[in-house]
Amino acid sequence: MSSVVVVGLSHHTAPLQVREQLAGETGSLEVFLAELLRREVFAEAVAISTCNRVELYGVTDDAAGSIQSARTVLRERAGAAFEQVLASGDAVYGHRGRDAVRHAFRVAASLDSMVVGEPQILGQVKEAYDRAQQAGTVGMLLGRCFTRAFAVAKRVRTETGIAEGTVSVSSIATSLARKIFGDLSGRRVLLLGAGEMGEAAAKSLSGSGAHLVVVNRSPARAEALATACNGEAVPYVQLAAELVRADVVITSTSSPSYVLTAPMMKDVSKARRGRPLFLIDIAVPRDVDPRVGDLENVFLYDVDDLQRVAEENIKQRAKSADAAERIVEIEVEEFEVWRRSLDLTPTIIALRERFTAVALAELQRSSGKLELGPKERQVLDRMVKSMVSKLLHTPLSALKRGARGPDGAALIEATRTLFDLGEVAGEDAEPSEDGKLAPEKSRS
Amino acid sequence: MWVTALFAATALAYAAAAGLYLTSLIKGNNRATRFARWTLLGAIALQVAFVSMDVSLGSPMGRMHQTLTGLSVGIALAFLLAQLRRENISVLGAFLVPVALFFFLGSGIGRSVEHASNESLLVPIHIVVNVLGLVAFALAFGASLAYVLQERMLRRKNLGGLFERLPALDVLDRFGLRAVLVGFPLLTLGILSGAFWAFRLEQAMLGFTASHAFAFIAWTLFAGVLGLRMAAGWRGRRAAYGTIVGFLCTSVVLVGYMLRTGLSS
Repeated sequence: MSSVVVVGLSHHTAPLQVREQLAGETGSLEVFLAELLRREVFAEAVAISTCNRVELYGVTDDAAGSIQSARTVLRERAGAAFEQVLASGDAVYGHRGRDAVRHAFRVAASLDSMVVGEPQILGQVKEAYDRAQQAGTVGMLLGRCFTRAFAVAKRVRTETGIAEGTVSVSSIATSLARKIFGDLSGRRVLLLGAGEMGEAAAKSLSGSGAHLVVVNRSPARAEALATACNGEAVPYVQLAAELVRADVVITSTSSPSYVLTAPMMKDVSKARRGRPLFLIDIAVPRDVDPRVGDLENVFLYDVDDLQRVAEENIKQRAKSADAAERIVEIEVEEFEVWRRSLDLTPTIIALRERFTAVALAELQRSSGKLELGPKERQVLDRMVKSMVSKLLHTPLSALKRGARGPDGAALIEATRTLFDLGEVAGEDAEPSEDGKLAPEKSRS
Repeated sequence: MWVTALFAATALAYAAAAGLYLTSLIKGNNRATRFARWTLLGAIALQVAFVSMDVSLGSPMGRMHQTLTGLSVGIALAFLLAQLRRENISVLGAFLVPVALFFFLGSGIGRSVEHASNESLLVPIHIVVNVLGLVAFALAFGASLAYVLQERMLRRKNLGGLFERLPALDVLDRFGLRAVLVGFPLLTLGILSGAFWAFRLEQAMLGFTASHAFAFIAWTLFAGVLGLRMAAGWRGRRAAYGTIVGFLCTSVVLVGYMLRTGLSS
């Protein structure tokens, strides 16, 4: 029967250059989908392409063959330059059945990400899924697989601490500011100096609704930065006044000595009348005298502090990953149960057996009252079986057609209920059999 | 018999809610928070059932019993209502529900004390005003405790899971300030009405007891917190410490009365 397979490469298996080459420009998703369709690799297909992974998900009856063809698609797309890398079996992985579903769930839940727990991947997977849907390559199996993957991601996010704590310096600065001030809209962020990290932190803060003020020794640089970050440039002479007004101050100057000294900040602190001040010193060497951090209602963080927070958060996330993996495992099992229920073969066989048994039993009962020779017996026998086949032909054809549709599982379920065929027996092994439906015997 | 069972059930429900809130604070479990909320509501319902059964069975409600009952229900209710606001302060339950539990257990002492029936109207006013004031201070206390914890972790750059779940400093600061602003006039009224009543009742033995001293200290502290906030921009940590000590002082007054009622009954 049909199973889910995935073929791809990620930051775990392939170097950045290869991933870059494959991910390429936007629109590569559609290219992949078109290519997969053209070669008839999969019955259903979803392509994911981010800077950390390129993966082709599909549904197929012939897992081994499809994985081979999908590998070829990737290899051709990567071009001759990376032939060598991709030819080695390790760079491109292929999973099938349960493993492929698990992989999809883990990717969506950000368990396979470079920074475990980072939130972007879920959006990227959702987008890839939407694109595949627009291209019309999503069917019942992948549809269910990915909607479950999104649900798993949500469960993991809410039930484990995997997404807790931010791991980049600028987002840590923002989340710390939130911990001090609550809502950041209307807060004043003062950016002092022109370091790159300072700029990133300032952008992240002003992205959260804070008002950005840029002070720089060079007015031109201040102006440029202010425009770039949607802020306001203020002349350097107003620094003291701005320090009093600001809620968050980010310093990243290249000054060799302290720009904000302890006595200076003491006066500032007095003038602020107890309003909390969040000082982020991103400069190396430092711009702010560490003693400033001892002032009442002043919170001083330097680069090392922020870095430490980042490392701590990464460690914490790794711990939560175990709990997340358990959730994934449970969900994979549930998916497999559902997929098994899709399998038509046992239903068809059971239905046929049920009908034949009833017909033959009736024949047995009636034949006692008649005096039949072996020849007549044989004719009647064949007639009964043929009747069963003909009677079942229409509903079975409809069942086979319907089972491929979006409500396939419900249809099979309904059939089993109507004819009291019981539960579908579980199968432990991967669907390694060719999975073809039992050939129809309804010759008339 | 039934009354005792209800009392025990209420105490257990409060304890369970406190435990759940603590779990949700330490472990960050959303389900525990939701569960805690319902448990706390259940505790309130049980307590109401307990008090109404007690009264319907004809036992008189002592003053202390009224006060402490009002306090525990008031704190629990006010906390639940405060959660309807925009900011998420549900973790404060870890500090507030134990306080409610403490007062509820205290309400068991001196439950049925007969008071002279010719008391003036001042007594119920004194009790109501004090209860409302203390409920407000209890909320301020919870917020201040969270503030102090949060500020310490921020200063020590120890940003573990607990830090993640506590509300922002500014939210706690404003919440505490608002609660003190509500509680302070009530406390003032409470002290005045109490003093007036005591003056009329015990003119002969108008001594300055320890309880009076603590009430006075608490009042001064809250006055100081508010005054310095307005005048000198006293915010954050110092204000939080002032609020915590102030609330503890008012609690000491109550405990003093509790012990006296317990001994005399």
